[in-house]
Amino acid sequence: MRPRPIRKSEVVTFASPRPRNVPCAALPPPPDLPPAGFAAAAHPRELWLAVHVPGMHMPEMREDPAAERRQAELLQQLATRAQQFTPRVSLVPPDGLLLEVKGSLHLFGGINGIREAVESECAAIAARPVLALAPTPLAALAGARAGKALVVTDPARLVGQIAPLPLAVLRWPEETITRLARMGVRTIGQVLRFGSELLTDLDRLTGRMADPRSAFRAPERFRRRCNLLYDLEHHEPLLEALAPLLQELTEFLHTRQCGITQLECLLHHRHAPATRCVLRFAAPVADPRRLNALLGERLTTLCLPEPVRACELRSDEIIPRELPSCSLWQPGEHGGEAGASSSELIEKLRARLGAEAVYGLQVRADHRPESAWGAIDPVSGSCASGRSRAEILQPPWPAFRRPLWLLPVPRLLAESEGLPRHRGPLRLLGEPERIETGWWDGGEVARDYYTALDVRGVRLWLFRERTPPHRWYLHGIFG
Amino acid sequence: MSASSRMARLLEHPAIWRGRSAARADVLPTGFAALDECLPGGGWPRTGLIELLIPRLGVGELYLFMPALAALTHRSCARWCAWISPPFVPFAPALAAHGVAVERVLVVQAPRALWALEQALGSGACDAVLAWARSLPAREVRRLQLAAERGRTLGILFRPRRAAREPSCAVLRARLEPAGQDGLAGQFTLLKSRGGLHRPIRLVWPSARI
Repeated sequence: MRPRPIRKSEVVTFASPRPRNVPCAALPPPPDLPPAGFAAAAHPRELWLAVHVPGMHMPEMREDPAAERRQAELLQQLATRAQQFTPRVSLVPPDGLLLEVKGSLHLFGGINGIREAVESECAAIAARPVLALAPTPLAALAGARAGKALVVTDPARLVGQIAPLPLAVLRWPEETITRLARMGVRTIGQVLRFGSELLTDLDRLTGRMADPRSAFRAPERFRRRCNLLYDLEHHEPLLEALAPLLQELTEFLHTRQCGITQLECLLHHRHAPATRCVLRFAAPVADPRRLNALLGERLTTLCLPEPVRACELRSDEIIPRELPSCSLWQPGEHGGEAGASSSELIEKLRARLGAEAVYGLQVRADHRPESAWGAIDPVSGSCASGRSRAEILQPPWPAFRRPLWLLPVPRLLAESEGLPRHRGPLRLLGEPERIETGWWDGGEVARDYYTALDVRGVRLWLFRERTPPHRWYLHGIFG
Repeated sequence: MSASSRMARLLEHPAIWRGRSAARADVLPTGFAALDECLPGGGWPRTGLIELLIPRLGVGELYLFMPALAALTHRSCARWCAWISPPFVPFAPALAAHGVAVERVLVVQAPRALWALEQALGSGACDAVLAWARSLPAREVRRLQLAAERGRTLGILFRPRRAAREPSCAVLRARLEPAGQDGLAGQFTLLKSRGGLHRPIRLVWPSARI
């Protein structure tokens, strides 16, 4: 028989990848399948019984039309007999039959019962078939053609069962199979490893499948300028002059259900370059009162070189805004959240004090005290607070060995007779702790840390350098 | 009728409202059993201003509040615990060792600490606000107290001992002195509160137990 071309429908039935002429090099083996569609359904919708009669397909028959006709008759005869088991019988010439038996299993005494019945029907016309049962017709056929009495009822197991079968059972064109074999691809499982994306890509490449693309849209921005009737020097009238611009901005944002995270306000002067002040927000903002308040805070700290002739508002990219939902509880009450008010506070403080003045704390895995903590952005930090508690670093040293106050820079202490002094003599308590680390990143420390008590009853954390000149430093106060 | 029974009858009058029974229901356990006993309601107030007068930094004033801050920051709906212009760096690993959830700590370095303090207290975004004030007019303390009530926040104000001479609107005013030879204990005296026992209590900081 002439080799069949691969039809699209087979690819679909298999619900699994089957690339055609895809090079196999450098592709990672995929995780053990089954494909997602199959794993979801515990019970197959269909069960196909393939009847393969090995003796009927002989290459030498190809040239003999009489033998071919005889063979077709035999297959039809078999199909007629098979129709007593199920109404859905398909011919797979020249040597196969497919029976959908899901509905008939119960009637004929389960899988074994129906197999025996079919076998005895075949024996009546002197055929010795191989029977295989699988959720897809092609898989059943492949199993039967491979000479295996495959019985797969669980779709999730299908791929694992058919993976070791040779590619020849699929009856792909000879040329394709030999070409794949030369690449080392010999079994169905090896083909399945390519993944279905490659096939989809090829289909899109050749235009057999639609390939929708999302269109690029230039980000919208707000930009308005207003020329003042007369020059302004003070921030209050400036804020009044900016109010209509802010109003316009909030209307612009409201119609788009969006907010901004950055607002730039430019104040143009007669000679001097424009004064620029930038407001940054933790979350997208569209509230005019809040914008007005924050801008007011910022303007009060601004030092103007000259009177202002014109002002301009420019927004950064606008961002879809989540509309706030009100809580039944007050903030801080049981069930109440800090919610929006926490980012409002941070924005307000930052608008007046600068972004660096407001920060959160972080524990870092380092033995050097100055590197064991870090300042982080509190806004992103609060997002991260949802993470599990286990992720938060537990310090490796015994609790309470560290002071609650750390001096930003160790303070050099005076000495008398080799012992440190700080507002009087110091009494060293307990054992020292040696911290000697950081040689790999240039911040090498070699110190012996002591706890000391000063004359006024304050516990201090001191260290003595391990390298000459062995000076004493104050590094912390226990609190 | 004896004087004491007449007194008792008088006190039964519903219009009379005694300080001891006026303790707030909403308090925060301090983590020190002896202290809980003497504070009105059995703990720190949840809202309002606490003034702690200390002779100098490092006499245990942070240890005093560590258990309360640990409990506050570990609640499921915890808000910020803000440190306004702390005199030194709050050492995050030590805070973590005391059980404070470090990610809820917010440090604000403000040249005008009073403004930042009032914002933090009144915003409703903080559970506790710690601040260090050298000199503070009584009028400002009143404003801070009102802000703390508005924001349902606990404000903790560390002030020098001489502030005891000034009147104060804070809900609670106390003094802490170092006690003991090794700097691991403190003597806490309640100076002003609505109820509570005004006698000195000796507190031992948790590090001594390790």
